[in-house]
Amino acid sequence: MIRLLIPLVAVVLFYVEPVFGLFSPIEVGGELRYLIPRFLIMFLIFVGVYYSRQRALVYAIIFGLLYDLFHIDIIGLYAFLYPAVCLLAIWAVKHIHKHIIVVTLITLLLVAVLETALYGFFTLIGFIGMPFGEFITTRLVPTMIANSVFLVLLGWVFKSLANRRSIQKREGML
Amino acid sequence: MPQFFSNKRLILLLVGVIVLVALIFFSLRDRDHANLPEQIVKDVVGFGQQLFSKPAHYITDLVDDVDSLLNTYEENQRLRKRLVEYAAVQAELSDVRNENKRLKDIVGKKDDLRDYEPIHASVLARNPDQWEEKIVIDRGETHGIKKNMAVMTADGLIGKVILTTPFTSTVQLLATQDPDYRVSALVTGKTEAFGLIEGYDTERRELILKRIDSAHEIKEGQKVISSGLGGIFPKGLLIGEITEVTTDDFGLTKQAHIKPAADFAMLEHVIVTKRTSTAVDGSDAGNTGEAMDKTADGGKDGDGS
Repeated sequence: MIRLLIPLVAVVLFYVEPVFGLFSPIEVGGELRYLIPRFLIMFLIFVGVYYSRQRALVYAIIFGLLYDLFHIDIIGLYAFLYPAVCLLAIWAVKHIHKHIIVVTLITLLLVAVLETALYGFFTLIGFIGMPFGEFITTRLVPTMIANSVFLVLLGWVFKSLANRRSIQKREGML
Repeated sequence: MPQFFSNKRLILLLVGVIVLVALIFFSLRDRDHANLPEQIVKDVVGFGQQLFSKPAHYITDLVDDVDSLLNTYEENQRLRKRLVEYAAVQAELSDVRNENKRLKDIVGKKDDLRDYEPIHASVLARNPDQWEEKIVIDRGETHGIKKNMAVMTADGLIGKVILTTPFTSTVQLLATQDPDYRVSALVTGKTEAFGLIEGYDTERRELILKRIDSAHEIKEGQKVISSGLGGIFPKGLLIGEITEVTTDDFGLTKQAHIKPAADFAMLEHVIVTKRTSTAVDGSDAGNTGEAMDKTADGGKDGDGS
């Protein structure tokens, strides 16, 4: 049961993201603020940290590719960024600490890195001409707030799910 | 400190990066049509997405219903006032319609750029990273949707179809930064002034209508509609209202800021317009860009065609 649960949660998060995307942008203080849901990558980081690096990377590549094909129409963008972010997170956690608060903070930091990397990429290919300051206020900050709320609420669920699967696997091997 | 990557992994990573960069450039260059694997993925993911979007729409519809129920009394009062006016306008409209039809019969004109067949669609997903303003809708080639068709809501034009698969299509909204995105528009009034919607002012949240002949007199408050001259859009879809008129950077033509009639924020149900009169293929999407490229380096190769 738990075996199927991790891919299932990943699929659900993949589909839920665009539904949340429908509610964004919202108007706060006379300006449009974009809340970009990054649920899937946060979940994948947790899977990578608490369960298996290999699995997390495989999921990251598959879902990154699906994301590219369905939403972005630029193949290879998320398919590269998702696994890269996962790898960075796992590497960072290995060298700092595995406590959930640390992992949460690292995850949020990496979501910010992902967002900034995407901003850089789209500026590079000339899709957007948004000044960096505006990017911070209208996109990065609201996105980070929304995603931290999500992660604080559900981070422990992700952790226990990944942990249980990992324990189950160890027992299966014995 | 242990090594981040072993040598073998480093090579693997480098090869991966090279492949991905190649893929990115391939898909950036060839963005006109979805190839077969892309289409399959889009249709399958789109089907799954429906299972999640439909309940979400249902809930938002419910909230909207409750919301409008609370305003019913006020709205009723206001609408009753307008009802008298409406009857008069209705009578006039039917009279004008009849006359228009008679006149068309006399002239022998059957096709009209204004006529279109609406295809109703639900929004499946909005590009969640929202860098490009795109939505995916649940109607595709099998329902008669083709590239470059106009997409509107009840309020007005919102964008055009940029990619189709058998069961889904991708719509790029007017509020895009893409410089190749153009819509042929028309300022209504005593004299009709043509222009092109090019670009979006993110700060003011208004569209920019460029290349209006400076001989034409245009004012704030005039309505802007689609002209139907782009080849595929029907004529007469409301785009918005002029809020400011300026001259362009070179002082040769006028440009205007337009407040869009439709709201791009919460999109649930949209209408794709299928023009009934002959559609001319290859509207303003790629061709103008190519033409401009050609004129740009026309001096070198001298290829005028």
